[in-house]
Amino acid sequence: MKGSLRTLAGLLAGVATVAAGASPTAAQPKGAPIKIGQIVSTTGEGAEAGRYMRWGAELAVEQVNKAGGVKGRSLQLVFEDDKTTNPGAVAALQRLLEDKEIAAILGPIRSTQIQALLPTINEAGLPVMIGGSNYGLTHSGCRWVFRTRPHDGFSAKVIAKFAVDDLKFQKVAVIHSTDAFGSGGRDLVVQELRTLGHPPVLVQAYNNGEKDFTAVLTAVRQSGADGLITYMTFSTDVGIMAKQIKQLGIKATWLGSPSITAIDGRKLAGDALYGTYGVTDFHVDASAKSREFAAAYKAEHGNAPDLYAAAFYDAVLVLAEAMKKAPDLRPDSVRTAILGIRNFWGSEFLYNFDENGDGLDHYHIVRNENDTIKLFKTIRVPRS
Amino acid sequence: MAVVGQLAFTGLAIGGVYALIALGIVLIYRATNVVNFAQGEFCMLGAYALVFLWQGAGLDYFLAGAVALVLMAVLGLLFALGLYYPLRNRSFLPVIIATIGASIMFQNGALAVFGPSPEKVRPVIEAGPTGGVTLGGVFFDYQYVVILGVTLVLVVTQYAFFEYTLLGKKMQATSQDKDMARLLGIPVTLMIALTFVYSTVLGGLAGMLVGPIYFVTHKMGAVLGLKAFAVTIAGGFGDVRGAVVGGLSLGVIETFGAAYVSVAYKDAFAFLLLLVFLLIRPQGIFGEKVAEKA
Repeated sequence: MKGSLRTLAGLLAGVATVAAGASPTAAQPKGAPIKIGQIVSTTGEGAEAGRYMRWGAELAVEQVNKAGGVKGRSLQLVFEDDKTTNPGAVAALQRLLEDKEIAAILGPIRSTQIQALLPTINEAGLPVMIGGSNYGLTHSGCRWVFRTRPHDGFSAKVIAKFAVDDLKFQKVAVIHSTDAFGSGGRDLVVQELRTLGHPPVLVQAYNNGEKDFTAVLTAVRQSGADGLITYMTFSTDVGIMAKQIKQLGIKATWLGSPSITAIDGRKLAGDALYGTYGVTDFHVDASAKSREFAAAYKAEHGNAPDLYAAAFYDAVLVLAEAMKKAPDLRPDSVRTAILGIRNFWGSEFLYNFDENGDGLDHYHIVRNENDTIKLFKTIRVPRS
Repeated sequence: MAVVGQLAFTGLAIGGVYALIALGIVLIYRATNVVNFAQGEFCMLGAYALVFLWQGAGLDYFLAGAVALVLMAVLGLLFALGLYYPLRNRSFLPVIIATIGASIMFQNGALAVFGPSPEKVRPVIEAGPTGGVTLGGVFFDYQYVVILGVTLVLVVTQYAFFEYTLLGKKMQATSQDKDMARLLGIPVTLMIALTFVYSTVLGGLAGMLVGPIYFVTHKMGAVLGLKAFAVTIAGGFGDVRGAVVGGLSLGVIETFGAAYVSVAYKDAFAFLLLLVFLLIRPQGIFGEKVAEKA
C-alpha cells in the first residue's frame, strides 16, 4: 500500500512537471497531436532499413515539435510493421486506415510494396509519402502518392550518361534484381543506353537474397564487358556479389544503383567495393541542410544517416510544411499544399513538387574510396 | 571449359552445404519418423553462436567454434526434451508443426537479440586477399574446399558409426522399431536425445561453415532448411548416402540451371526436383532402409 502511494505521488509530481513544462510561456504545441502513420519493416529482409526509416522520421517529428509543431499541435508517429512483404504492407496500411485520426501516412521505401498498396491508397484518399523510386509509382494515375526521393527515370538517365560520357564504358553489362525496382530500373537504363548509342551487351536478372552469383558473373566475364551497371534492391546482395566479383577476378568498372553505397553491403564486402561508383539521392555533404541533418542524426544514433533515414526525415518535413500552409488538415488541402511546395530544402536536396507528386530531380554520383563514400558530382535532370 | 569447371565446383560446394543440413534432417527422421523443419535454424544459431563468442566475447576463432558446438549440443538436448519428448506419443503431425513453430521462434528470437544487420564471420582458412586460389581459370574458394572436405569426412564417419559401432547400431535399431528396441533393453529415449544432440551440432557446424559465404542473418537458415528438405526427399528419407548425393546434385543442378536456363528461376530448380521425385520416385534415390527390410 505504502509502495503504491509512493508511486501515485511520483506520478502526480511527474504530471505537475509536464504541466509546468507545457505552460504558455514555452511555445509548446497543445491540443491533440496530429497522427502520422508510418509503414515500416520491423521484421524480414528490410528490417535494417526499416529501423533507419523510423529513426529519420522520428528525428524530424522531434524537431518539428520542438519548433512549435503544426497549427499549434504536435506531430505523433504511429508505426505498423510490413514484414518486408507486399501482403504485409497492405495489411499495415489497412490497420493504419482504421485509425480515423491519422492525417497522412509515410509509406514503404520498396517500390514493389508501394505498387501493391496503390489500389488501397487510391481508395483511402489520404496523402502517402513514398520512398520507392520506381518511375511508374507516381505516373499511374494515383493522386495520393508523393515521393521524397528522385525516381529511377532520373537515375537511369544519370547512370547512362555518366557511364558513357565520364567513365567511357564501351561494352556495358546490366545486372538487376527481378522485383519492381530492379526490372523498372533495367527497362529505363537499357532505353537510355540505346539512346546514347551504347546498347548493353548483356542483361542478367537475379532474385533478391541470392547467395551465389557465379552464373551471373561468368556470363559477365564471357560478355567481355568493361562496364557493369547494376540495379540491386538489397545492399546485402551487393555485398555478396562484390566479394564474388573480386574472387572471380572481374575487372569491369562498376556503377550501381543506391544500394551500392549502403552501410550494410559495405560492411560485408569490405575492400571488394573500393573504387566502385554509385548513384545516390542522399549524401551528407550535398547541402547545408543535409549536413545539419547528419549532425543531428549522429548526435542521436552515433552513426551517419543513410538515404533510408533521409527520405523519411524529409517526408515528415515536407508534410509538416504542407500542413502549416494548408488552410486545414483535410486530405485535399494537404495534397494541394504539398504540390505547391517550391524551393524547399530537405536533407536529400531541393524540393519542387510537380503535378505527379515527384519532389526531387537530382542524383549524386559518388565513389567508394577506401570505404568512404565521396561525393563526385550532383546532376539535376530537366523534367520533361 | 573454365566456365564449366567454375560452375561445377561452386555447385558441388553449395551442394555440400545442403548435404550437411540434410544429414541432420535424415538422422532425426530415422530416429523419430519426424521431419525437423527447424534444422535450417540450427544452422543459423550455430553461426550466431560463433559470431557472438568470437567477436562478442573475443575468444580465439577455433576455441569459439568448439564452444559454439558445445552450446549447440546443449540446445539439441533442450530441443529433444522440450519439444519432442512431450509430444513423442502423439502422431507425427503435432511434432512437425512444433518444429515449424520452433523455427519461427528461433528466427524471430535471433532477430530480437542480434538485430537485422548481417554479421561477418571469418573463414576457416584466412589466406590471400580473395580467400582462395585460381587454378586453370577456376576460382577455388578455400571455404568451399573446407565445406566439401568436412562433408566428406562427416559422411564417412557417420556411415562407419552407424554400421560398425554398438551405439550406432542401437540408434539405428531405435529408428527402425522403437518397441522392439525397448524390448531389447536399448534406452530409446536416450538414443533419441543423442540423435537430436548430434543433428543440432551438425546443423550448427554447417552454419559456421557457410557463415563467411552467406553472411550471418536471422534468415540464413530458412532457405537452406527448405532446400535441404527437398534434398532429403530426392535422396530418400532414411538414407545418409541419399542426403549427400541429393545435396551435391541439387547444388550442381541449381548452378548449371542458373547459368544455362535462368538465374531468376534458380530457386525453383530445388522444388522442381522435389516434385519430380514425389511423382516418379517418392521413395527417393536410395529408398528407406526400413522399407527394404520389411
